[in-house]
Amino acid sequence: MLQKTTFLSHSYAKPDGHTLAAYESAGGYKNARKALGMSRDAVVDEVKKAKIRGRGGAGFDCGTKWTFMPKESKKPCYLVVNADEGEPGTFKDRTIMERNPHSVVEGCIIGCFGIGAHAAYIYVRDELHLSKERLWAAIEEARAKGYLGQKPFGLDYPVEVYVQTGAGAYICGEETALLNSLEGRRGEPRYKPPFPAQVGAFGCPTTVNNLETIAIVPTVIGMGGEAFCKLSTLAEFNDGGSRLFGVSGHVKTPGVFECSVGLTLRELIYDLGGGILGDKRLLAVIPGGSSCPVMLPEELVNVPGDPRFEPYNGKSVLDLPLGVETFRSVGGMLGTCCAIVLSEDADPVLALHNLMRFYRHESCGQCTPCREGCGWIERILDKIVEGRATLDELDQLHRIASDITGNTICAFGDGAAQPVLSFVKKFRKQFEDYVLTGGKSQTKKLVA
Amino acid sequence: MPSFKLDGQDIPFEPGETIIAAARRAGVDIPHYCWHPGLSVAANCRMCLVEVLPPAGRKAMMLDVLEWDADKQDYVPAKKPKLVPSCQQAAGEGMEVASSSSEHVARARSAVQELLLLNHPVDCPICDQAGECRLQDYWLEHQGTKKRMHDEIVHKPKGVVFGPTIVYDAERCIVCTRCVRFCEEVVKDPVLEKRERGNLSEITLAPGRELDHGYTLMTEHVCPVGALTARDFRFKARVWFLRSAPSVCMGCATGCNAYLDFDPRDDTVYRHRPRENMAVNQYWMCDEGMLDYRRVHEGRLLAARVRGKKATLGDALEKAAGVLSGVDPERLGVVLSAQHSNEDNFALLRLGRDYLGTGHIYVSGRAEGLGDPVLKHADKNPNAAGVTALCTSTPPKTFAELAKDIHDGRITHVIALGSYSSDATKTEALGKLQGLVTLATREGPVAKHATVVLPVSSWAECDGTFVNAKGMAQESEKAITPRGDSLPGWKLVAALAKQLGLPMAWTKLAQVRKAMAPEAGATVAHATGAEA
Ligand SMILES: Cc1cc2nc3c(=O)[nH]c(=O)nc-3n(C[C@H](O)[C@H](O)[C@H](O)COP(=O)(O)O)c2cc1C
Ligand code: SF4
Ligand code: SF4
Ligand code: SF4
Ligand code: FES
Repeated sequence: MLQKTTFLSHSYAKPDGHTLAAYESAGGYKNARKALGMSRDAVVDEVKKAKIRGRGGAGFDCGTKWTFMPKESKKPCYLVVNADEGEPGTFKDRTIMERNPHSVVEGCIIGCFGIGAHAAYIYVRDELHLSKERLWAAIEEARAKGYLGQKPFGLDYPVEVYVQTGAGAYICGEETALLNSLEGRRGEPRYKPPFPAQVGAFGCPTTVNNLETIAIVPTVIGMGGEAFCKLSTLAEFNDGGSRLFGVSGHVKTPGVFECSVGLTLRELIYDLGGGILGDKRLLAVIPGGSSCPVMLPEELVNVPGDPRFEPYNGKSVLDLPLGVETFRSVGGMLGTCCAIVLSEDADPVLALHNLMRFYRHESCGQCTPCREGCGWIERILDKIVEGRATLDELDQLHRIASDITGNTICAFGDGAAQPVLSFVKKFRKQFEDYVLTGGKSQTKKLVA
Repeated sequence: MPSFKLDGQDIPFEPGETIIAAARRAGVDIPHYCWHPGLSVAANCRMCLVEVLPPAGRKAMMLDVLEWDADKQDYVPAKKPKLVPSCQQAAGEGMEVASSSSEHVARARSAVQELLLLNHPVDCPICDQAGECRLQDYWLEHQGTKKRMHDEIVHKPKGVVFGPTIVYDAERCIVCTRCVRFCEEVVKDPVLEKRERGNLSEITLAPGRELDHGYTLMTEHVCPVGALTARDFRFKARVWFLRSAPSVCMGCATGCNAYLDFDPRDDTVYRHRPRENMAVNQYWMCDEGMLDYRRVHEGRLLAARVRGKKATLGDALEKAAGVLSGVDPERLGVVLSAQHSNEDNFALLRLGRDYLGTGHIYVSGRAEGLGDPVLKHADKNPNAAGVTALCTSTPPKTFAELAKDIHDGRITHVIALGSYSSDATKTEALGKLQGLVTLATREGPVAKHATVVLPVSSWAECDGTFVNAKGMAQESEKAITPRGDSLPGWKLVAALAKQLGLPMAWTKLAQVRKAMAPEAGATVAHATGAEA
């Protein structure tokens, strides 16, 4: 169901929407003030009721994550906000930082209070210069107003917010690699357990949240968790509220749109994205960032034995509301909810090749399967697109990807394997055509 | 003790212990590269993956993968359980773990092994690690398939000189970071780090640094493959021709447990490397100690000498007896050696004190050096504690005191074990002696002044007991046959006693040990564990 919202995007169209004045005239910082007057448990409770599924890709319930933080801690606790946004096809957090940075600062104040922290680090992808600038300015404005510091709003709960710039590696978006990078170490994921809530930044209890997850928290406090949750048509799937949806690729109006959870891919592509470029046929869509399996419009929902799926069974996956559980149940993944659209003009073999060049380049190189597997896959794909590969080599792709799956320290390995497994399964004919004829019948184009 | 089941076998574990560590204690080896019992867990190689079966009534976490169905000519969905690294997973009471009994584990290990060899040069003929390389061993044990990647491998730097002792080959490196962790965690000198990402990863030196701390050979030793090689050992031997004798390091009073690796065909020692003993050196040795095997071959004294001239052992013994007979016990000094075993020292003490009747007992050895907080002791002798214990009530006097006693005319004759003077400024005094019989392994100041020199076998050539600074008596075993005309020290003492007509008829080491037993009260420490 397409239901636009403006909790985060109300300021997007205003030229000065990023300023404190604009933010406050829209009711900004009232909710942080309100939260600091509540008990910590009450704040966490509202967030739990809101059923915010983490917006960073893994879809973990935000309120539940907050409860993992110690009630009492001898060490300081930290909130770390993940704004590394490096997933190909994902560009939603950037819009918040550039055009509504105060929602992040306000979210940090509430987040810190909810998890017992007094400092928040926002880890921003280095290339996002305007984002950093806007965040820095917002923090300065808020501090000058007395909303940050020793006594925010005159209340007795010190909060500081810092911006830390990344160093240009996709893997630093993985939360534990991010923590290492934040500490000045090599950006490599740590194995878990211990989880960040036990041993996080600088060895202290830490909650890592995606930037959008944090930015929506003031809204939740403002309208109440339950009311926020009900905005969604997927509340019974524990997927509440509204969120940013992105769409890019071969659509007429790519961009970021804020809607209630419950939106379908069809709505995202055709209603918000304006349909396929040149009114071509939709070939495939990667629902949420490149690490999710690619899906075809011909794929039908088939989840027997679960009444919640009754309305959707037998329909195209394009008509299944975009949710963490809904997509998991059909062998897909929601990810960051930023869809990459391929029209019939696009060459799926080139698309996978493009993606795997990225994963080979970005693997941190710790785990044998990911380090060597991604490179091997890239190399086979190099040969496939050059028409030099054999069928034997094509038949190795799914095997290498299957052997990476689950066998690595972090989810990057799975994220690299998913595109391979789904592309070869769904486009075997096209891959074979490259092997057998050098791709004679393929479009050999990525740009529509 | 709580326990878990590994392939059906009960394995006890300490709370908090990992599956791999508990299995190792029980003598079960789970294949691994990056894990080392003495280092932090990195869990990066993924060779140690195991299947932990879900508790009764619970379902295993299954992952979706693909298989190719040749009949259907299509992919078919498949499921596999999520495996866990046994180097990281803590053991739990009643846990059921499948390692060698799981087909999923077998496939994962085979895949890891294939991936590790994917861009590996496989240049075993010119690799010093060949014969003791996990890539070789595990290929046979866990992979056994032919190579499927036929393209040029990823090329990386080769023959990179990391420092005075170590050379690095990035193509052979499996990026397990053992070397990085060893330098950082044990040596506390983080001189190595990883650079680049993905399959371009390699180990590199800290800017402006060389690998030049006191444990560089150990850094090489923790490398499970041939990526790090020791310049000392490079292209010198094939390990499968070498045999190993459990030894004790002669480098200092720590008494690290070691192996002497020697080639029985040419009776040559090629390498000294650590033998695990948690009570002494854990898994490690220092560079000085690992290079100390060179003393077996360098600077050796291999033939007897009388007044500076080479002599047969028989002649020399006769002359030595001549030097010593009729000497007033009050003027006779006996110099024991902290460099030599209890057995050698005990024999000399028995001859000098009990048969020749002198009370003037001294001890020599190598001069003090630098210690460190890791292993190295400032006392550069392996058996100072043993010598002191043998002397029971009156501790031996120092080399400086000997020099003074010679100077003052109190001592005119000396029988000495070893050739070290402990104090270079005091050696000239030896020139004043009327007679000096030296039983020595190496050339040195004491041998230089000797009337008669008798060649003693080094620790590599005979069994011996050494007492370290902690008071632990440790046995070192014979590796090669005695070099040149040399004989074990105690044997030479017995032969000399025979010349002197004294009833000290030891012909077997066991006899010496039996006679010595009440005096050398220290306990014998035994090595623990297998190869890391
Ligand atoms: C390879 C990799 C890259 C990731 N990159 C990002 C990222 O850029 N931004 C982000 O918020 N989460 C990213 N994540 C997910 C984070 O690890 C983590 O789950 C998230 O920040 C938690 O926040 P949330 O619960 O609010 O979603 C990444 C995960 C992986 C495995
Ligand atoms: S899965 Fe890949 S990116 Fe993640 S830790 Fe392992 S090697 Fe690094
Ligand atoms: S040099 Fe050896 S120990 Fe160091 S990372 Fe490479 S393979 Fe491991
Ligand atoms: S610490 Fe001492 S005993 Fe140990 S290896 Fe070094 S020199 Fe030998
Ligand atoms: S031994 Fe390397 S992952 Fe466990």
